Amino acid sequence: MAVVSSAAKLFESNLEPILGTAYGVALRLTHNAADAEDLVQEAAVKSFCGFHTFQTGTNFKAWFLRIMTNAFFKRCRKKRCEPQIIDLEDDSALYLYNKTCEAGLHETGDNPGEILLRKMDTEDITAAMAELPLEYRVVAALYFMDEFSYQEIADIIDCPVGTVRSRLHRGRRKLQKSLWRIAQEQGIVAEHQKKRRFKENDRPNDLRRNIQTA
Amino acid sequence: MIDQMTCEETFRRLEDFLDRELSADECRLVQEHLEICAICAKEFEFEATVWSEVRAKLQHIIVPPNLREKVSLLLKETECF
Repeated sequence: MAVVSSAAKLFESNLEPILGTAYGVALRLTHNAADAEDLVQEAAVKSFCGFHTFQTGTNFKAWFLRIMTNAFFKRCRKKRCEPQIIDLEDDSALYLYNKTCEAGLHETGDNPGEILLRKMDTEDITAAMAELPLEYRVVAALYFMDEFSYQEIADIIDCPVGTVRSRLHRGRRKLQKSLWRIAQEQGIVAEHQKKRRFKENDRPNDLRRNIQTA
Repeated sequence: MIDQMTCEETFRRLEDFLDRELSADECRLVQEHLEICAICAKEFEFEATVWSEVRAKLQHIIVPPNLREKVSLLLKETECF
């Protein structure tokens, strides 16, 4: 009894510091607080029962998240969450940069990345994440929620480092497209273009008259 | 071994650089290029800003205050055998 009890205490002492991160990853995977709690609890039970397989001194967080992401994949297969159509189009790594250039957002001297993102809520970003194919979303969630390296993510989801790199790069490119669409839908781009026109109009009267009659 | 990078070579390493996945030598070469190329520097700065903001927003999580207690209680009630 004492042995079981000390193992349970050891397990909880490992789990407690990473619970916030685990919940955060779960939330970004499931997009739903109740589902995220369920997923974390399911993973907690599975990892507790499998704690005898954990090698002390190794990365408990990665081990726990592996169990959790496996549980998430299993849920998705059961629910048939979403179509697994992966668009093979090779999007540019600078999609958002190029779009902001075309829209004239670089001409005011402000940082256009800040202009776009500061106006967006967390809900906007999570909506963009939700549009990612499952495989990209899992890698992106791990990457953004805890700054794992490619190797650490590869260890968690049990795939080659090259696959992680590819999914993360492609996932970010797809996120850029979603973020641009959201920025347009929310009027963030138009608002900034309007501000730019006001600045251009803020000139001496005779010069403005010349521009209007041109 | 190259001693300086072109814009194209630097751009190919953009994402790995931002992810801190480059070797120390490649990282140094990228940084040296960014110091002399305003266009590449602007692109890198933009990307770094976007992903930093995305990360900050995604990490803005309110963990349910009773999650720890729920998990602790669940584990106490769990029979693994």
